[in-house]
Amino acid sequence: MSAALAAADAGAQVLLLESNLRLGGQYWRHLPENGLNSWAGQSALQSDYQKGFLLRNRVSSNPNIEVLCGAQIWSATSEDSVTVNFLYDGVSHSFETQSLVLATGAYDRALPFPGWDIPGVMTPGAAQALLKGSHVLAGKKIVVAGTGPFLLPVANGLVQAGGEVVGHFEAQRLRSWISHSRIAVRNFHKVFQGMRYLRLIRQERGFAVVSAHAGVDGQLEFVRVAKIDSDFRIKNGSERKIYCDVAAVGWGFTPDLSIAHSLGLNFIEGQDGYPVVAVDALQRTSDPRIFAAGEITGIGGSDLSLTEGAIAGRAAADRLQNINPTVTLKSLSRARTLRLRQRKFANTLVKIYSVKDGWRSWLTPETIICRCEEVTAETLKESLVSLGATNSRSVKLLTRVGMGACQGRICSRAAVEIIAAEQKMKATVEDHISAGNRPIFSPITLGQLAQEPIAYDAL
Amino acid sequence: MNSVIPPEKRVTFTFDGKTMTAISGQTLAAALLRNGIRTLRKTRKESKPRGLFCGIGICFDCLVVINGQLNQRACIVEVRDGLIVETQDGVGSS
Repeated sequence: MSAALAAADAGAQVLLLESNLRLGGQYWRHLPENGLNSWAGQSALQSDYQKGFLLRNRVSSNPNIEVLCGAQIWSATSEDSVTVNFLYDGVSHSFETQSLVLATGAYDRALPFPGWDIPGVMTPGAAQALLKGSHVLAGKKIVVAGTGPFLLPVANGLVQAGGEVVGHFEAQRLRSWISHSRIAVRNFHKVFQGMRYLRLIRQERGFAVVSAHAGVDGQLEFVRVAKIDSDFRIKNGSERKIYCDVAAVGWGFTPDLSIAHSLGLNFIEGQDGYPVVAVDALQRTSDPRIFAAGEITGIGGSDLSLTEGAIAGRAAADRLQNINPTVTLKSLSRARTLRLRQRKFANTLVKIYSVKDGWRSWLTPETIICRCEEVTAETLKESLVSLGATNSRSVKLLTRVGMGACQGRICSRAAVEIIAAEQKMKATVEDHISAGNRPIFSPITLGQLAQEPIAYDAL
Repeated sequence: MNSVIPPEKRVTFTFDGKTMTAISGQTLAAALLRNGIRTLRKTRKESKPRGLFCGIGICFDCLVVINGQLNQRACIVEVRDGLIVETQDGVGSS
């Protein structure tokens, strides 16, 4: 939204493709504003609801921005022009452009653990989407766990909406902040917000949900929570049971790089070792026609995304009008200063809330790693030992890990790390990139594929 | 939060034959959870129960059959009047 507005303000005609049914991305999910879904009701669920509301309105009322909601991009290529193929109203359309802004966001990073596939175990993002987007509490007794600042607003939102949070666990201890105290002080307003959440809801630090267990109906009945050390290894004898019908467990975020990958963009190593799209001060990628903003350039939250979006939108529009990039740089100097400060803080947060290798010690041989294809940890490791797999690609071919419906979005990050660890190596950025190769990003039927895509040129 | 829905906002659908109500604009997954349904399908190989996991349309665990169509992600589809929803068995059969 931020990029679209900046581009339109700079004189461009903008086509905004939003994959969800309503504007707002993940962060500003909402129910349509009318009657039952009153302003008061919705803003009670999110402290900066108004900001999102105003943004959405500015975008939808701007005559130079065309918005298509429910547009599922299924392929993208870059040759003479950048071509995006998307499904809209069940029909495939294609759109060619010389200036593209990618802001495909991120999704919760899930770590496999025994029982994570039981109905009732979900990500914090799922609990949040249910609450903000549909005004539904995920369950009656909810455990929130994992790592990251995101756990706080999730647990807080659930409690404010009348839910019972029966356990709230953060893997890191507060001492993880000590070596970053200077940055914390510089961004005190953000830290303060976090501290306010902690006053409202308890959080136990240095703990993790290490397994989930089903009742006779096959659904979540309880989780086991353990005290963990700074390497995430379980402290013996510290495990306890917590009865719950929902466990919202998440470990930060994974950027959604499918489209960036397909367009052949360069990646660099992010703060947490996972790839991110490489961009310069104008949010330009390795392809001068393509700009990237938000989580795909590095996990950083909504404020940073808005700042980067504004830079990318302006730069993308200027490019179309052949304005010299140095001129663009100069006019964006305030935004760039802001971006530097926000980026530095965001990077610090990713470092503080990093995932340590000890999580792999929670796995049992029967733990499902690839949910879609039901591939267990044992099968993965066996393929290296007795089937002759030598790297993550051959493990994938032999075991089908990452080849199911989600195309490795959920499992491949963890699978790559498990495989690397089995080979006594560290997972590289290249390992992650090749696991993220998805020529088709969204389900499309053969019938839709067979039709000639309709060239979209309403602009 | 789980109060009576006024008629103009109410949506009625069926799940495995049972009639359920929801608020228009909610996702099917949310509507099902609101009605106490956590299990949405059985897996292909081991017939293990699965429900909502990522909630944002990328994990493909919340697959249900809607009006005879397989592999519909309940967390993405908006609930509408008259939808006939069923749990999906593996990849189903067509």
